[in-house]
Amino acid sequence: MTVETRLDDLGGTGRAADPTPPATGLAISLRGVRRSFRTAAEGTIEAVAGIDLTATPGDFLALLGPSGCGKTTLLRILAGLDRPDAGEVLLDGAAPDPGPHTARRLPIAYVFQDAHLLPWRDVLGNVALPLELLGHAAGRCRSEALEAVERVGLADAIRRRPAQLSGGMRMRVSLARALVTRPRLLLLDEPFAALDEISRQGLDEQLRSLWIATGMTVIFVTHSIAEATFLAERAIVLSRRPARVVLEHALDLPLRRDAALRADPRFARETGVLQDALRRGAEAGAAEGAR
Amino acid sequence: MRRLAARVAPPTATFLAGTLLAELLIRALGVSPLLLPTPSAVARAAWSYRETLLPALASTTGAVLVGLAASVALGVLAAIALAASRWVERAFYPYAIFFQIVPIVAVAPLLVIWFGYGWRAVVAAAFIVSVFPVIANALAGLRSVDPALLDLFRLYGAGRLARLVKLELPWALPSLFTGLRVAAGLAVIGAIVGEFVGGGGLGVVVLGAMRQQRTDLVFAAILHASGLGLVLFAAVDVIGRIVLRRWHWREEIP
Amino acid sequence: MRGSPIVGLAVLLCLVTAACSRGGPPAGRVALALNWKPEPEFGGLFEAQRTGAFRRQGLDVEITGGPGAPIVQMLAAGQMAYGIAAADEVLVARDRGADIVAVYATYQTNPQGIMVHASRGVNSLDELFAGEGGTLAVEPGLAYVKWLRKRYDLSRFQIVPYGFSIAPFLAEPRMAQQVFVTAEPIAARRQGAEPKVFLIADSGFDPYAAVVITTTQRVRERPDEVSRFVTALREGWRGYLEDPGPTNREMHARNPEMDAETFALGAVAQQPLIEDEFTRAHGLGAMSLERWRVLGEQLQELELLDQEPVAADCFAAF
Repeated sequence: MTVETRLDDLGGTGRAADPTPPATGLAISLRGVRRSFRTAAEGTIEAVAGIDLTATPGDFLALLGPSGCGKTTLLRILAGLDRPDAGEVLLDGAAPDPGPHTARRLPIAYVFQDAHLLPWRDVLGNVALPLELLGHAAGRCRSEALEAVERVGLADAIRRRPAQLSGGMRMRVSLARALVTRPRLLLLDEPFAALDEISRQGLDEQLRSLWIATGMTVIFVTHSIAEATFLAERAIVLSRRPARVVLEHALDLPLRRDAALRADPRFARETGVLQDALRRGAEAGAAEGAR
Repeated sequence: MRRLAARVAPPTATFLAGTLLAELLIRALGVSPLLLPTPSAVARAAWSYRETLLPALASTTGAVLVGLAASVALGVLAAIALAASRWVERAFYPYAIFFQIVPIVAVAPLLVIWFGYGWRAVVAAAFIVSVFPVIANALAGLRSVDPALLDLFRLYGAGRLARLVKLELPWALPSLFTGLRVAAGLAVIGAIVGEFVGGGGLGVVVLGAMRQQRTDLVFAAILHASGLGLVLFAAVDVIGRIVLRRWHWREEIP
Repeated sequence: MRGSPIVGLAVLLCLVTAACSRGGPPAGRVALALNWKPEPEFGGLFEAQRTGAFRRQGLDVEITGGPGAPIVQMLAAGQMAYGIAAADEVLVARDRGADIVAVYATYQTNPQGIMVHASRGVNSLDELFAGEGGTLAVEPGLAYVKWLRKRYDLSRFQIVPYGFSIAPFLAEPRMAQQVFVTAEPIAARRQGAEPKVFLIADSGFDPYAAVVITTTQRVRERPDEVSRFVTALREGWRGYLEDPGPTNREMHARNPEMDAETFALGAVAQQPLIEDEFTRAHGLGAMSLERWRVLGEQLQELELLDQEPVAADCFAAF
C-alpha cells in the first residue's frame, strides 16, 4: 500500500543526468504504530493511532500535518527516544535495540524545532559534541567537526558562540551537528519553522543538496506545504490528532531543485494536491482519505 | 570605565546622603551616643580600634571563605545526589530544608560542643546557614536542563558522568551563582553568630564592645561585617559574570 | 551583666525609636529592670514585692527586664526608673555619657569567680594561671577579664566565649569558666562534678554587684521616692536573708529552669557576700566612697575609661 520504489524519472534535470548518490540510507518500516499519553489536564491522549509507513534507503520523506498531530511522537519513536504502545518499528529490516543507545549502533541524527545548542560551547565544540559522546578521539572529533561545519558553510565562524549567531546560522550549526556522525537516517522536526522565509528557503536548498551528496534517508516533519513540496521525494499527509495517513504522494519534481522551481507550474500542481489532502485531514474524523 | 562609574556612583551617592542625614538627625535630636552613635563617631571608633578590628575582620573572612567553600562543594554534591532521582529528592530534600529553617542562634551553642571552641565551630555555623541556597539553586539548575539536549545526549548514548560534566553542571552554573550570591551574605551572618559562641573574629569584638558599652565600636564592627558581606557579594557577582560571559556573550559585542 | 548580645542589639534598636517618641510607664508606677532571670541574687527585690514592702512605702513597682536587657541604655532613654548593674558598668556608663547613679549595692563582695575542676589540684587564681593552662570560658569584654589579663599571664589558656551553659565545663577536665558563685557551681555539683571556685574579689578587683541604679536626674528631682525605694529594698533583703523559702518558691515559679534546691543552696551561699562588717555598721546595700575611688582607678588602669571618674558622683547614699 505504500510506494516502495524510488522515483527514477523526474524530467529534464532528472536523476539520469546526475551522479547517483551512494545508497547508504537506512530502510524504515512502521506497521500499526500506536502511542498515547496520559496527561493531567485532558486524560489519555492518543497521539498516533495505527500508522503504517515505509521508506527505502536514501528516501526523502516529508511528513505533513497540522500542528500537534503527533508528528513529533512519530519521529521520537523512530529515533528510539520513545517507544510505541503497539505496532512494529523496523530499521533496515530489524527492530532497533531497546534503550537509549540507538545512535551507537544505528547512525541516526535528530534535528529539533530550535537549534538547542550548548550556549557555553563555540560552533566547533557544538558540532563535535556527538562524536565526543560516541567516544571518538579528540583529533578525529575536531577534523570531522571542521568538515561538517564547512559543509554547512560556517567555516569562518567556528570560534563563535551560539549567542553571537543569527537564528539561521544557529540552525545550520544544529544541522552540522546532526551530519557530523554521517548518519544513515536524518530526522528533522520542523527545524526551520522559526526562521524568516529567506533563511528558510536557503536552508531548504542546502538540505536538499546535502541529501543528494550523502544518500542518507531523510524524514522531514513540517506543516508547510511549500517546504514539503520543495524538499521531499514523497510527501505523507497526516490527519489531525490522532495521526493517520491521509495521503501518500510521490512528488513529480526534478532531482536538482532551486529557487526557480517555486515558480514552476509543476510545483504549483503538487502543492495543490497536498493542500487538498491537508484540508481533508483537518476535517473531523477524516481518517479514510488515504485508503 | 564609564560603565563602572555609572554602576558605582548611585549607591555611593545614597550612602553619602544617608550618612550625612543620619549625622544631622542624631545631632539635632540629641540622641545619646549610648543608644545610637553618629556616623562620625563610628568612623572615629573604626580608626582608633583598627588594631582590634582588622585582625578580627581577617579572622572572620577566613572562616566565611572556608564555610562558603564547604557549602559549594557539599551543596553541589548534595544537589547532584538529589537530582539523581525523584525518589531520592522526595526522601531527602525535606531534610535539606532543615538547613534553611534551623535557627542558627539556637544551634550555635551545640556547635561548640560538637566541634569544640574556635574556628571549626565558626566555619560550621557559616556552612549551615549558607548551604541551603547552594543546594536549592544548584538543584533547580540541574532540573532545568533543556529536555531536547537531554534527548540529544541519550541519542548518542552518553553515560551518566558525561551527561553531568558536559551538560548538567555547566547548565546549572548560572543558577548556582544566583544561590552563591545569597549564600555569601548568609555565610557572614553565620560566622558572626558562630563567633558569639565559638570565639574569635568580629563576633567577639561585638560582644566585648556591647559589654563595655562602646556602641560606636559595636557599629564599627557591624560595619566591617557588612562590608565583608558586600565585598563577597560583589566578588561572587564578578566571578559569576566572568564565568557566565559564555551565556551573555552578546553583551560583549560593541 | 550577662545575656545574649543579639537580644541586646534588638532592644537597643527599639530604644532608639522609643527615645525619639518619649513614651513611659504610667504615672505613679515605677519599673525596675533586672538583667537576668529571677535568681537568688534578686531575692530581696522579690521579697519586697511579695511582702508588700514597696507598697507600704507608697510605691507601685513593676519588676521587668531579663537576660540581655541593656539596662543602662533603658535608663538613659527614660524607659525605666530603676535597674540592676554592676559597679564597673556604672563607671563605664557614666564615662560614655549616661548620667546614672548607684543607690543600693546588694553584693558587698563580688560574687563572680573562676570555676575549675578540683581534680586540677590548684588552690588559688595564682596557682591556676601559673599552671598547665587549658580553656577559659568568659564573656568577651568583661572588666574583670581585662583585670585578670593584666595581673596574670593567661597565654597558656585558650580564651573562648562563655555561652551560659556548663555542659562544656562538665565535659572537659581542663576547662575553667566564669561563674556567679550562687549559680553555676551549685548546678555543676548537682550534675556530679567536683568544682572549685576562686573569687575574683580575692585578687583585688572587687566591684559591688547587683547594684540598683537610677538616673542622677531622678535622685535630684524625687529624692523622697528614691529614699523610700531603698528603704523597701533593705527591708526586703532583711526578710530574704532570714527566710528565703517563700520568695524562692515564687522566683522558682517564674524561672522553673532553676530547681528549688539550687535556689535554696544559692541563697545560703550568697549570704556572706551580702552581709558583712560594713553593712552591719552602715546598713544593707550601703556603699563607701573609698571603694568607688579604688574601682575607678582600676578601670582607668585597664583603659576602660576615657576620662577620670569622680567617685562621689557614682553613688548616692540613702
